[in-house]
Amino acid sequence: MSRTLQRLTTYGFVMIGALASIFPLYYMVVGSFQLKADSAFSGLVPRPGNLGLTNYRDVDKAISLLPSLANSAIFTLGTVVLTIVVGLPAGYALARLRFPGKTAVAAGLILVLALPFQVMMIPLYILVVRDYGLADNFLGMILPFAVNATAVLIFRQFFVALPDELFDAAHIDGAGELKTLMLVAAPLTKPAIITASVITFIGPWNEFLWPFLITKKHSMQPLAVSLGEYVSTNAATATNPYGVILAGACVLAVPVIVLFLVAQRYFTSAALGSGVKE
Amino acid sequence: MARMRTFTAAVAALACTALITAGCSSGGGKGGQAKTGPIKIWYSNNAQEVTWGKATVAAWNKDHPDQQVSGEEIPAGSSSEEVIGAAIAAGNAPCLVFNGSPSAISGWVKQGGLVPLNDFADGASYVEQRSGAAVAAQYKSSDGKYYQLPWKSNPVMIFYNKDMFKAAGLDADHPALSTYSDFLAAAQKVTAAGGAQYAIAPAPTNEFFQNWFDFYPLYIAQSGGKALVDNGKATFDDPDGQAVADFWSQIYAKGLAPKEKYNGDAFADKKAAMAIVGPWAIAVYGTKVNWGAVPVPTATGMPADQIHTFADSKTVSVFSACKNRQTAWDFLKFATNQDNDGALLNTTGQMPLRADLSTVYASYFTAHPAYTQFAQQAARTVDVPNVANGVAMWQDFRNGYLKSVVFGQQPTGQWLKDAAGTVASDIAK
Amino acid sequence: MSRAPRRGPRSKTFVGLYLVAPYAVFLAVVYAVPIIQGVRISLLDYVYAAPGADVPQPFVGLKNYRKALSDPQLRRSFLNILEFLAINVPLTVVLGLTLAAVLAKLSRLKTFFRSAFFVPFVTASIAVIGVWYFLFSQSGFINHALGGWAPNPSWLVNSRLAMVVIALEVTWKQLGFYVLLYLAGVLLIPDSLYEAASIDGAGVVRQFRAITVPAVRNVTILVTTLALIVGANLFTEPYLLTGGGGPNGASMSPALLIYQNGVEQGKPGVGAAIGMLLTLFVLLVAGAGRGVQWLVQRGEERSPGRDREVSPA
Repeated sequence: MSRTLQRLTTYGFVMIGALASIFPLYYMVVGSFQLKADSAFSGLVPRPGNLGLTNYRDVDKAISLLPSLANSAIFTLGTVVLTIVVGLPAGYALARLRFPGKTAVAAGLILVLALPFQVMMIPLYILVVRDYGLADNFLGMILPFAVNATAVLIFRQFFVALPDELFDAAHIDGAGELKTLMLVAAPLTKPAIITASVITFIGPWNEFLWPFLITKKHSMQPLAVSLGEYVSTNAATATNPYGVILAGACVLAVPVIVLFLVAQRYFTSAALGSGVKE
Repeated sequence: MARMRTFTAAVAALACTALITAGCSSGGGKGGQAKTGPIKIWYSNNAQEVTWGKATVAAWNKDHPDQQVSGEEIPAGSSSEEVIGAAIAAGNAPCLVFNGSPSAISGWVKQGGLVPLNDFADGASYVEQRSGAAVAAQYKSSDGKYYQLPWKSNPVMIFYNKDMFKAAGLDADHPALSTYSDFLAAAQKVTAAGGAQYAIAPAPTNEFFQNWFDFYPLYIAQSGGKALVDNGKATFDDPDGQAVADFWSQIYAKGLAPKEKYNGDAFADKKAAMAIVGPWAIAVYGTKVNWGAVPVPTATGMPADQIHTFADSKTVSVFSACKNRQTAWDFLKFATNQDNDGALLNTTGQMPLRADLSTVYASYFTAHPAYTQFAQQAARTVDVPNVANGVAMWQDFRNGYLKSVVFGQQPTGQWLKDAAGTVASDIAK
Repeated sequence: MSRAPRRGPRSKTFVGLYLVAPYAVFLAVVYAVPIIQGVRISLLDYVYAAPGADVPQPFVGLKNYRKALSDPQLRRSFLNILEFLAINVPLTVVLGLTLAAVLAKLSRLKTFFRSAFFVPFVTASIAVIGVWYFLFSQSGFINHALGGWAPNPSWLVNSRLAMVVIALEVTWKQLGFYVLLYLAGVLLIPDSLYEAASIDGAGVVRQFRAITVPAVRNVTILVTTLALIVGANLFTEPYLLTGGGGPNGASMSPALLIYQNGVEQGKPGVGAAIGMLLTLFVLLVAGAGRGVQWLVQRGEERSPGRDREVSPA
């Protein structure tokens, strides 16, 4: 009896949370198919007469989706790869090793996180465009995002959390720090790597301002930029401006949700069990 | 290593400082004046202006193989000023931008980003001859030079929804909206039971430019064509400003306009019976709304042909990053000649800022009567004053307006008095 | 080098440097200049001058800071952030950890629930804000449901409630991310701990308090730090949801003021000064000195048995 009740409460609890979370997606999807915006309460229930693909057609007509998606992919994947390759060892060193200058790096990391982007934006833009000459260039687009500071923090926290025995065992086996990181620590931090990758992915994927500033050639613009520009100026002339915005948001959200669903299966505890359990 | 990195950072900072103060990049100085060659330009990214921009560039390129122009789109609206400001600082601004806002010009001049058109032999005369000396004078900077060519205007008027007016028992063809009391009466009638949700819905948000579409056009009309400041002094702390402030505060106090931002276009969505918009709206609302247009109201009414309004104009500037400035100037003259101005009118419905607008394009206005009253209105417009720190001034003005007029937390008279002081000190800096 | 004896102090120093070097270079090449530039700008009457333009940029000392601090909107915006954090941080930690702990134990629909919580986080802000507008606007869903109980003035134009709505919106949007962080932490806890506790007769709630909460302490610190930073950099919500920090500055945020001053109004000096004050605020709230120290030393302190050499710094 109490077990059933307990299970019911548990599922009830997460169910309420899940519904509250999914509601906007539902609203977004329904709104994106509406021919006429229906902001009334009753508009939540889709009315067959008011549904259609017009908004998607409007978006597709205005934006060449495939090249934009390809640009988004280069921008985003470049960032994710650099974040893992550069950020993972940095997180490990910050968590487990002692070396001169550690305080400076740690302080820099916190400062980058804490300093509002609005302060850095224009100096950063001047640096990248004028001094590095990277306007209309993927490297210029990626550079400020290249190593996601949140991801480095995540890596650090997870290396700190790993049991010491693991490292001691590796050290007794005579492995150096680099080898310990590669063979022992990195595989164990798979959930952290995936968490960090997903987090890193979302930043550049949804980013408007920076890639917009850095690219003037339309052939270089990622999806979020072409969508954002379309929405900001031309949506007003569409038959259902708000529906067009929602359709654009759906197009932008789908790849991230798919990615997350794929990443899901790596969040299994089984993969970790053997290493951690004695 | 730590010390090493600190050193590197310091060197990088020094290098950067040197670059910014001394300027090692190209494009500075006045060397580029007479040069011709390929140039880059930016135009606004709304569909109609892109069509016009592409056609104009193509026509030029056909005849000028050695002075090719390449055009790119930048966003319309407030973010375009930020993009241009950043590009000036980074040294990669194009030669011409066909989307300048008069409120941004003083800032770009301060950045050293613009070339005075007076540097070209026929610069000032072309501007004055095309727009008329009186209109052109509004766009002159404090040093007496033109850093912008007044290109096109979107004089604002009151759009009203004929169907809603009819349903409320109002005269849909000749609505009485010319005095404040008539306007308020119509507003109350159209929002009475079963009618429109709001009479009018100016954005109650705090972007610096929002007063251009509520207080400012009405003040321009009421004062017979005064700008917000004149000779470094605020103009609006007077009976005219008081009348306009009280008019809007009644609109808000009676719930005739929303105090909350509406997500979307309230007029297009038929939530509001009226809107303050320029001729661009004709293409946008088109057949979606059965609309009519009248001039903005004044306290006791004025004949329509005496009413001034806000110009909401866009200008074109030559940027100092441009090397082939002669080509830039020649292309600017080409893009604003009678034919291309006519093409602009045809494709966008926006009014070229030409002295001879209604006579030169008479046939257009006969064919498109909806645009005629905007063309007539275009002859009597006032823009934002060309002062230093204009954006800061408008932001302070906006903050006080929201507090006093929209949310009713300060008497309007007190606000006008305070704002006059703030505005004067903002532009004095 | 990987075959070097593990107790060689020099090798260890080198490995740490070697591993962190690319990141340090990145920080130096991309961020050192803008950050130093930010500090410099805050002390000058600065203009983003075109290359080659002769624009005076006089040193004005702390004038920009005085100007910023004399603005009542700035004081209000910092108080707003404190209000935001007071709502956001406890909610985030409690809900995030509870949901993660429950999710880890679910046998069915795990994937569905995990994805569901994550949806708001990946959705573009403009769409999410549209939904909240739909919920909390004057004629919105919530007011419909409340009927005569609806607050007057309505949520988004009520100076007491606007910040509360924003805090709830951000909590809700970010929650999936924090659940994910907690989940990764919870999954690292060996099942054997729970099994042992179970044998000792500890109930679910006690297991949660005695095992889960302390085990994810690191994640909680991370989550709190990130929530603080998200709160301090609040921009999109007051900009879009409450019409530019409205009503009347009740939801104004420092980042929005930075944008208005530094970018829109061409006063980079004042904008940068606010940025420095905001950074100081974050570091103060986070317990600056201790935070960095903790970041540097905690890793080693966790394992008193491990050898380490004295840092030359």
